Amino acid sequence: PKKYQFRTMRTKILETADILDEQIDSFTKIIQQHYQIPSSDFNNPSIISQSEIITVGRIIPDNPQVESIQLNSSSLALETSRTLGIGKRIPLDLSNLTDYSLFPGQIVALRGKNASGDFFKINEILEIPYLGSPVSTNDELTTYYENLENDLKILCINGPYTSSKDLDFTYLENFVTKVNNEIQPHVVIMFGPFIDISHPLVSSGNLDIESPTGKKIQTLDDIFKFLVSPILKKINNKIQIILIPSLKDSISKHAAYPQDSYDKKQLQLSSTKNIKNFPNPSIFQINEILIGVSNNDIFKDLKDINKGSPAGENRFDRISNHIIQQRRFYPSFPGSKSQRKITSSNDDEDEFEFLPSSELDVPYLGLSEFNDVLPDILIIPSELRFFARVVKNTLVINPGVFMRPNSSGTLAQITIEKPKIDELTKINEDGEDLYLHDIWKRARVDIIKS
Amino acid sequence: GINGILQPLESTISDAERFKLSKHLYLNCKCGSHFKFGGIVSSNDYQMTFNGIQCKKCMNQLNTLNVTSQLEQRIRSFISKYYQGIVICDDSTCGMITKQISVYGKRCLSNGCKGVMRYQYSDKELYNQLLYFDSLFDVEKNKNQSLRPLYESEDVTKPQELIKGQIDALSEQNRDNFNVCKSIVQKYLSDCGRRYVDLGSMFDFMQK
Ligand SMILES: [Zn+2]
Ligand SMILES: [Zn+2]
Repeated sequence: PKKYQFRTMRTKILETADILDEQIDSFTKIIQQHYQIPSSDFNNPSIISQSEIITVGRIIPDNPQVESIQLNSSSLALETSRTLGIGKRIPLDLSNLTDYSLFPGQIVALRGKNASGDFFKINEILEIPYLGSPVSTNDELTTYYENLENDLKILCINGPYTSSKDLDFTYLENFVTKVNNEIQPHVVIMFGPFIDISHPLVSSGNLDIESPTGKKIQTLDDIFKFLVSPILKKINNKIQIILIPSLKDSISKHAAYPQDSYDKKQLQLSSTKNIKNFPNPSIFQINEILIGVSNNDIFKDLKDINKGSPAGENRFDRISNHIIQQRRFYPSFPGSKSQRKITSSNDDEDEFEFLPSSELDVPYLGLSEFNDVLPDILIIPSELRFFARVVKNTLVINPGVFMRPNSSGTLAQITIEKPKIDELTKINEDGEDLYLHDIWKRARVDIIKS
Repeated sequence: GINGILQPLESTISDAERFKLSKHLYLNCKCGSHFKFGGIVSSNDYQMTFNGIQCKKCMNQLNTLNVTSQLEQRIRSFISKYYQGIVICDDSTCGMITKQISVYGKRCLSNGCKGVMRYQYSDKELYNQLLYFDSLFDVEKNKNQSLRPLYESEDVTKPQELIKGQIDALSEQNRDNFNVCKSIVQKYLSDCGRRYVDLGSMFDFMQK
């Protein structure tokens, strides 16, 4: 898609600031409408006041030089928008709260008071309203029902596809046989990386690979073309394949998030009709089902400061809830960092080498927001342990990794019952009967070994 | 009209000057040797042969895939560094370095500071880094011996320089290999926003 084709490596600080400001203002409107609060009741939290006020802002560390991992309940602050508080930042006092989960980058609506001028004491965190779920008409659902012979089966597979010891894709090749003969899904969603730019062999100077057909392999892109593409082409052409790039993929020149889709020509897959390339992140539909995918490890990167009941919850549920409330796939700001020391030899240039992490191109983060509705299914791969959870009636899945550094890994198989009208939740909107998809009631997720 | 300081066009600056601050391209050999690659020049660690780069420590020949993959990893490492998005205050008495960005962008987050925030690793520095890597595999630049030197002139370990005839022959023999390496740098340059700014700004003054 065009809007993902922005040029990278050219982030402007003022455009970054514009997006950060807009995020606060757009949530202020959402809160205002939902709670029916007159705009005059929203106030600047950095100004002393005698009475309680309502304010909206971004959670930040109260010391800009502190990294988010070192934060605690007494080191958080709130940043206001230009309109609400001329961008002022004010430390937060959380001592009146019994339940909270807060993280840097989060947009929050607060009720409280700044009595001394030094900090804003929160009395209540106003919950951000949830987006509505997608709906379909009777006709649409009937068509989908009749078109399906059996339940809908979707596989979600997340790279890497080789161990960290080699770039041997035999494992994937064998798995494709299993997909064609045994699993026979309708759709396979495959996440990169296919060839991880940080793979140990890439830097070792000991990479020697031959293609089965004797083609000369001179670049990492050649490995994809001559070793990976032929395997993908072996997948039965009745099975739809959706490829989502990773920030670790060597094949992607767009090494920033949001990330443009793979180039079909470059992969040498132009002739394959059943393979579709989508950007990272993206939202698409399979029959009635709205699926949101993002290949940026928010489950690893989001570190919240929490207390009370949210703390008792499963961490994956808590983060999923934040994603759903914040209405975007990667709500943390700033992004994460990953680096390793270069094996230094003889000289002074001892430095760090950076590895792919979250690569946020902030001015374009609008592309990572949900639109007007919440997807039925969110698939967000993570290095952390696989899981499938239902959070706010949304099915949230991390398939795990296909190959671990030294062994095989996991993938997720989603089986969704055909939509039976009389079992779905009916809602009436403007005199028309519409149905919620209730995917969380109809779906079953199996985490299977790769 | 034209005002301000007249500056030389970037292209008229020598590579030695232009890439002074760029990081070297380090290559690993399977023997564990880790060395700076500076094109077809003399080095204590490697030598160019008609079949590419040879490690002087173990006499192993690095194949094209080894060179391109390490080059690509190095490029991506710089892109990742860029996307760390670290900003720094230009007031030297302030010293604010952070990943936080105010909703005003350029405003410094330290109390009362009037300094202006900018990205620490600039797009210009990254663009130059890519151009430096590109120059190393540029056959014409190698032939003209116009590359940034690998050793400082006062460096006592500096080896004997190659002779022109030798460089010409090695350049021609390595043309194909070098073009594959160059295509790796071009892959990323083609997505680099800075490159298009360069072209745009050339026409800026004509429109005023
Ligand atoms: Zn060696
Ligand atoms: Zn400052």
